Amino acid sequence: MSIVVAYMPSPEGEAALDAAIAEAKLRGLRVVVVNATKGDALVDTHYASAEGILSLDQRLADCGVEHEIVRPMGADLSDLVLEAAENAAAELLVVGLRRRTPVGKLVLGSVSQRLLLDATIPVLAIHAKAGGRHAS
Amino acid sequence: MSTDNLSTDNQTEAHPVGHRHRDMSQFVVVGVLVAVGLFAIISTWDVVAGFAKSDPLGPRAFPRFIGIGCLVLAAILAWRTLAGDVPEEDGGEDVDLTMRADWATVGKLVAIVLVNVALVSFLGWAITGALLFAGTTYVLGSRTPVRDLIIGAVLSVGSFYAFYVGLGVPIPPGILDGIL
Amino acid sequence: MDAWQGLMEGFATALTPMNLLFACIGVLLGTAVGVLPGIGPAMTVALLLPITYNVEPASAFIMFAGIYYGGMYGGSTTSILLNTPGESSSVITALEGNKMAKAGRAAQALATAAIGSFVAGSIGTALIVAFAPTIATAAVQLGAPSYFAIMMLALVAVTAVLGSSKLRGFISLFLGLAIGLVGADLLTGQNRMTLGVPLLSDGIDIVVVAVAIFAVGEALWVAAHLRRRPLEVIPVGRPWMGKEDWKRSWMPWLRGTAFGFPFGALPAGGAELPTFLSYVTEKKLTKHPEEFGKGAIEGVAGPEAANNASAAGTLVPMLSLGLPTNATAAIMLAAMAGYGIQPGPALFEENGDLVWALIASLFIGNALLLILNLPLAPVWARLLRTPRPYLYAGILFFASLGAYAVNLQWFDLLLLLVLGLLGLLMRRFGLPVLPMIIAVILGPRLEYQLRQALQLSSGDWSTLWSEPVAIIVYICMALIFIVPLVMKRVRGTGTGPDAAGSTAAESPDGR
Repeated sequence: MSIVVAYMPSPEGEAALDAAIAEAKLRGLRVVVVNATKGDALVDTHYASAEGILSLDQRLADCGVEHEIVRPMGADLSDLVLEAAENAAAELLVVGLRRRTPVGKLVLGSVSQRLLLDATIPVLAIHAKAGGRHAS
Repeated sequence: MSTDNLSTDNQTEAHPVGHRHRDMSQFVVVGVLVAVGLFAIISTWDVVAGFAKSDPLGPRAFPRFIGIGCLVLAAILAWRTLAGDVPEEDGGEDVDLTMRADWATVGKLVAIVLVNVALVSFLGWAITGALLFAGTTYVLGSRTPVRDLIIGAVLSVGSFYAFYVGLGVPIPPGILDGIL
Repeated sequence: MDAWQGLMEGFATALTPMNLLFACIGVLLGTAVGVLPGIGPAMTVALLLPITYNVEPASAFIMFAGIYYGGMYGGSTTSILLNTPGESSSVITALEGNKMAKAGRAAQALATAAIGSFVAGSIGTALIVAFAPTIATAAVQLGAPSYFAIMMLALVAVTAVLGSSKLRGFISLFLGLAIGLVGADLLTGQNRMTLGVPLLSDGIDIVVVAVAIFAVGEALWVAAHLRRRPLEVIPVGRPWMGKEDWKRSWMPWLRGTAFGFPFGALPAGGAELPTFLSYVTEKKLTKHPEEFGKGAIEGVAGPEAANNASAAGTLVPMLSLGLPTNATAAIMLAAMAGYGIQPGPALFEENGDLVWALIASLFIGNALLLILNLPLAPVWARLLRTPRPYLYAGILFFASLGAYAVNLQWFDLLLLLVLGLLGLLMRRFGLPVLPMIIAVILGPRLEYQLRQALQLSSGDWSTLWSEPVAIIVYICMALIFIVPLVMKRVRGTGTGPDAAGSTAAESPDGR
């Protein structure tokens, strides 16, 4: 059993990660960090750099939670996260939410929304803290 | 769907280990060369050599030279291929050659372009251009068809007017004649 | 016309508000496509050829010149921030540039590249003013045999010197010559290779060929490799340099320019060799040899200047002889032909105002690039996030539009697809694009000159080497084949940066 968190290097991604770590400590579960990319642009700022992954790994180790980082690539981000959750036999999925207007959501679509609708396990949705990322 | 560890062992057939491998697909190029070469020679066979004596070379010499050149190059390429010469695919700046080539996507794109060719005279560029854009974005992996169709429509109608007003090129309106 | 007077009149044309606007659009568009993956200045100029239907020649060429220089600039931005050199000429810049960026000196790397490009571009353009009219005046006297020989040299040099495989270069060349044959024969008016299709009697329009080979071929090739792991871009603010950076940069800029310009002016000199030579020279002369390989500013300043000076040099044979030696120049010549302007030695005399406006706009474009691009670097970096579906759907859309606008016939769209598939084939099998494009453009002129020469001599082939210039050119051509063989014997095994040099030579810039 594990907790799966949809992660990206951004305030909402960090907020989700913090929540996932806190929850994992509470429940004594391992954390699976999913950092997915569509891989359809030369640069994807939501895809963590190699360096970012290293420090992420370090941070999780420092927290003392058992963890795993997966970095899938595919056409649909929410499918990738759900697939990872299934593979990890997750009991909880943590996602970060970005504030967006209803119109913005209509035009751009929303990965977190798809996750909320399609997930078969409980989903914990976290807003990014106004002050940015907080220490764990 | 591939993960990190997959992409590393996903070497394409075009980059074999060692030199024993022959890339027989190069015979496609050989075929093209033979076809072009023969066409250059045969299709100009009965071109009249010219009415004036002042053209010693005539209109047939150059096509023949090119045709024979193509055939010779085809032979050399065939020989080199059998000897194990492997082409160097064009990496460009946006192509990752370690990923397996996906010819199905190319096929779908070709099909969409063909649809455009078939319909452009009847429906007009304003419509087929929008369909072309939306169709190709979909095949290339976009999953927001409504938005893509709107962008495509803006582009095609915009280009219709840009050419008409800006460049003085009247693109046929097709079925929308009278509306645009 | 006196060169100085011509240049001043050129400035008068280029500095009108309308033409300044075209210059601005050109440099911005050029930089954008230079940064964007998969599109380059050649493809962009090809896609913009339809504007030649209604826009004045001077304005159109001012814009094309902006795209040409802007593309160089954009290519260096990508190679510094991403370590994926877009154009083969930026490969060397990426060596030290990306290391600098990784070490937190992206701003300085971009600044030395930008200012170096400006210095080299300005000096290079001044050298065009000095040399091109003189060469043109000399070349006007040349007869058909010499002209034939020079065109042969350009074709053979582009084919045999650039690219890693001579065989594939020649395959490309001959396919291009065959495409150029389609249509009515220039001298007798007889249809050749048209299959009786009346639409082919006028030949295959160069817009269709260029757009198909560059744009459609590239889009299909990328579609076959749609997904890839994103690259790591180095965040960048506004480029700037400190005093020490200036001190270390200005000599490499000048030396780079000295390497770049002559190579660019030679047929098929290209930018790969001078950028490499500049890199090696700076490495040897630097007072900070320990920094090389870890991000030495000289290693960015020199090659980047060489790259731009070579781009300027390329315009010398293009303007004075009508000889294209790179893809963008080839398409600009096609645009000239579209205006009914005959490219060649007579260009300066017959269309002096246009040529001088173009040259003046090169100075202006260079200055604009510096002014606009230093603050815009972060914006350009954002372009790298453009999703491929939109980028390549857009390319296919505008390619189809451009091809359709030629004759407003569906038939051209079909031709576009067929030639686009040829472009895909070429990328898959490593056939270089440049020899084909140049062959399509030069092939018909080559045949015309040859037949004209033989007409004048009543069929006596010895006329081909009857002029001294022709003999010299044939000797040069022989050297192109002999020198590499000798070099191979002499040199033995290559060293470290040599490997980078050979990667540079592998992909002649065609995008």
